[in-house]
Amino acid sequence: MLVYTARRLAVAIPVLLAASVLVFLMVDLSGDPLADLRLQQPPPSEEVMAAAEARYYLDRSTPERYWLWMTGIGGNGDIGLLQGEFGPSVRGGAFDIGEQLASSITVTLRLVTAAIIAALGLAILSGVVSAMRQYSKLDYTLTFIGFLALAMPTFWLGALIKEGGLWFNQTTGTGFFYTIGANSARVSNMTNWEYFLDSAGHLVLPTVTLMLTSFASWSRYQRTSMLEVLNSDYVRLARAKGVPNRVVVRRHALRTALIPLVTVATIGVVGIIEGVVITETIFQWRGLGYFFIEAVKTNDAFAVMSWLMLSGTLVVLASLVADILYGVLDPRIRYE
Amino acid sequence: MTTTENINDGASTAVDKDIVLDVQDLNVTFSSEDGPLQAVRGVSYQVRRGEALGIVGESGSGKSVTSMAIMGLLPKTAKVTGSARVLGQELIGLNDAQISKVRGEKIAMIFQDPLTSLNPVYTIGYQIAEAILTHRKVTKQQARERAIELLDKVGIPHPDRRVDQYPHELSGGMRQRVVIAIAMANDPDVIIADEPTTALDVTVQAQVLEALEAARQETGAALVLITHDLGVVAGHVDRVAVMYAGRLVETGTVEDVFYRPRMPYALGLLGSLPRMDEARGEKLTPILGTPPSLLDLPRGCGFAPRCPMAEALCHAEEPVLKEAVDAEETDLHHRHMAACHFGERLVDVRPEDLFHPTSLDAEVPVEAVRAEGTEASAERGREHEASSEVLLSAVDLVKNFPIRSKGILRRKIGEVQAVSGISLELREHETLALVGESGCGKSTTARLLLQLIRQTSGEVTYMGQPLHTLSDAQMRPLRRDLQLVFQDPFASLDPRMTVTDIIAEPMQIHGQGRTAKARVKELLELVGLNPEHGSRYPHEFSGGQRQRIGIARALSLNPKVLILDEPVSALDVSIQAGVINLLEDLQDELGLSYLFVSHDLSVVRHIADRVAVMYLGKVMETGTTEELFAAPAHPYTQALISAIPLPDPVKERTRERIVVTGDVPSPADPPSGCRFRTRCPKFANELDDARRNLCVEEPPELLDRGTGHRDACHYSQVVELI
Repeated sequence: MLVYTARRLAVAIPVLLAASVLVFLMVDLSGDPLADLRLQQPPPSEEVMAAAEARYYLDRSTPERYWLWMTGIGGNGDIGLLQGEFGPSVRGGAFDIGEQLASSITVTLRLVTAAIIAALGLAILSGVVSAMRQYSKLDYTLTFIGFLALAMPTFWLGALIKEGGLWFNQTTGTGFFYTIGANSARVSNMTNWEYFLDSAGHLVLPTVTLMLTSFASWSRYQRTSMLEVLNSDYVRLARAKGVPNRVVVRRHALRTALIPLVTVATIGVVGIIEGVVITETIFQWRGLGYFFIEAVKTNDAFAVMSWLMLSGTLVVLASLVADILYGVLDPRIRYE
Repeated sequence: MTTTENINDGASTAVDKDIVLDVQDLNVTFSSEDGPLQAVRGVSYQVRRGEALGIVGESGSGKSVTSMAIMGLLPKTAKVTGSARVLGQELIGLNDAQISKVRGEKIAMIFQDPLTSLNPVYTIGYQIAEAILTHRKVTKQQARERAIELLDKVGIPHPDRRVDQYPHELSGGMRQRVVIAIAMANDPDVIIADEPTTALDVTVQAQVLEALEAARQETGAALVLITHDLGVVAGHVDRVAVMYAGRLVETGTVEDVFYRPRMPYALGLLGSLPRMDEARGEKLTPILGTPPSLLDLPRGCGFAPRCPMAEALCHAEEPVLKEAVDAEETDLHHRHMAACHFGERLVDVRPEDLFHPTSLDAEVPVEAVRAEGTEASAERGREHEASSEVLLSAVDLVKNFPIRSKGILRRKIGEVQAVSGISLELREHETLALVGESGCGKSTTARLLLQLIRQTSGEVTYMGQPLHTLSDAQMRPLRRDLQLVFQDPFASLDPRMTVTDIIAEPMQIHGQGRTAKARVKELLELVGLNPEHGSRYPHEFSGGQRQRIGIARALSLNPKVLILDEPVSALDVSIQAGVINLLEDLQDELGLSYLFVSHDLSVVRHIADRVAVMYLGKVMETGTTEELFAAPAHPYTQALISAIPLPDPVKERTRERIVVTGDVPSPADPPSGCRFRTRCPKFANELDDARRNLCVEEPPELLDRGTGHRDACHYSQVVELI
């Protein structure tokens, strides 16, 4: 298993390299980071422009710039992914892309992790219940909820949930739901426990928004694969052995029925990372979604590229986790 | 739950302490969109301690549903009434917790498909131990030790290592033994085996039946053996119950039912079997028609629509199971019973006296069948001119499939040697059978002959013209002459096309579309179907009828050669006989040549002129059917013939057996020298080391070693087995 993981990680390197080339070219072709400066009235002097171009390495050729971005060799020490430098931001020297990314990711990972866990947990539960009570009222209800959640766009659903939270707070006269930000403003005076409760409270509505689509599609998959397994010969044999039904479901049906979900959920993680941009905007979180939107707005090329590389790495990691999970769940998949 | 009509009540009310399973008036109804489906109606039987009861019937007869109902394994949509008692304890109507205590403890079950019966994510040791731990208060270590012991008892070598393996690491035969071990785990009183060997090859079937026998000896359990294979029943049970359309139609000792059937269905079933132990020339006598729909059962006897001696009474009133006319047995338990109004008329009647050796399908009016039956003589002029011309031949045909690595590079890391140097000749107006177990390369050979896949090396020639050098475009006009009939009549017909479109498609491809309509009618008639049914869709036909449609499609371009890939193996025996007769008639009428690929030696012996026995990509023995079956010289042929169960209780119990051990080795790494040596009974038991060396080092050539036909064994020796 260790050797396998190492080999999978090694395979991830060319994948990430290819991604970096694509990311670089796409961002490079998408616009001029100095467009604002050039359009300034009165026009800045040639020296200023030249200095700005040199500062953002725009005076170099495209291959040279890629090489710089990756290695930082020949740069001013503020560039080179392999050295842990993400490049200069157009938003000035005070804005360190690396630092900003690091603080955004802690916020966002909280949300993404909560959404994945909630979506998986609820999807498995609802899929199993639906399959065991196939064609019952409960099954039809869960099916309806699933399709409803699938059909609604996140930006609209998120706004609706936020409005719902506000409405609840207003009618009850409480501050039960937090609708803005990842934490309250007065974090500094809080004890650890208070901070935890505050964070958890702020997580509720965004998590619901972010997980609904994934939950809906995963629960459909789980229902189908569970049904297939429940009708399988080995579940019948387990029952014929005298194993009580609920043990059969837990021990024999659930584990094999999870295998297909692993594939689906891995692909779904990409969707969640996409969804986080919308969700964070709605609930005004200063996470990766906010970071990305700000970077795009300000034409901050290095920030955009850094963000894209980070999400690419997350996707590669997710698929690695999925492959390892396969091995744990299914002995037919051998890793030498 | 009592029935006034049921005669078996006499037996059950009498105190019979030996009865371990007592089923009384069991009914199972499924609710379906088209109304209630009566799968099982009023089934009653008893099984005594240590006794073996065979339940025989074709697909849809309710034999499996009956046992699933007893085990409480049917879905909730099934309505089960009646009674099933194990050691006096009622099982019908128990809740899950209650029946779980009985299942696996007093009554155990073995299912048909060993490849899907075991959970792929747990070791076999875990799955056996689970059965023990569910019912016994033992430690995990004790359960594991017992699992190893059980694996040893069912004949799995190195049980201490196997116990930690996962199902996918075991062959089908091994997995079925594991399932048997699970069934034995708690010394049950009854073991129900539902088609336990149907999915297995014959040599493996023999091994698994032996393991089942061992399980019975060990546990003293009664066995209920459910099967469609009359041969398996003949050798392994004491009593037989025949099921038809959800009812028991005949019960009795195996001798009574096999030698003196008193229900026309049982008689017909025996008559429709091609038999290894009888003369070859006779035509088979199929039972016309198909079993009735369980949604809409006829009022009278369920078999009446197919029965040649049905009268008005049969259509009006369903006969009850009553004592057969010449029942001699005094013990009620063993008494011969049959559900037929006119059972006494069957005394001394042979199947061919009642059923007609026809090739027509039942949708054709019965008069036509009668007329055809009297016209066609039961004897078939099957001996063909030995000098007839060679149509299709193969020389040193080799096909290796690459095994590739899993990564992105997909490097070639080995080869599956599917076909390893095969030479064949198919002559005009002749049937050549390719026989062998799964994985022996017979289907690959058939595809190579048709050039559907390309050979690694070797030559294929059709009428003197080499096919292996032709491009696909050059090959196309020749495809008219070489047509294929597939195994699965359900998967090989497009469900969205009408029968006319299906049969006309080859003609359209070959530019004969204009005359296709008229030709389709002609073809439908030719294959014994109603020519007016061309506008129907495949799902409106039964399996046998669909296979006839497949044959009509293959015949549409007037081919000279038909490659038949297991054409009857998916059909029930009573239907199979009609299709075999059809193939024989078509050959006589149209002068066709057949390459008949099959694993069923009884069918091959009936239909083929010459036989080539294949094992791991090589021909082991080849010769005329007469010679090969009368004087098999290769140990593998002998083992194959001896593994086929005969549908005759006395012969089956007394015949000499040549048993093959183990499983077929992987074709990716075949044994050196003779490929059969790892399983060869002669190699294992008769040869000394010096003589074994030759087998290990030298692959035997296919030669006539003085037996009149060719075999590939260094030490071939004729053994008479039939």
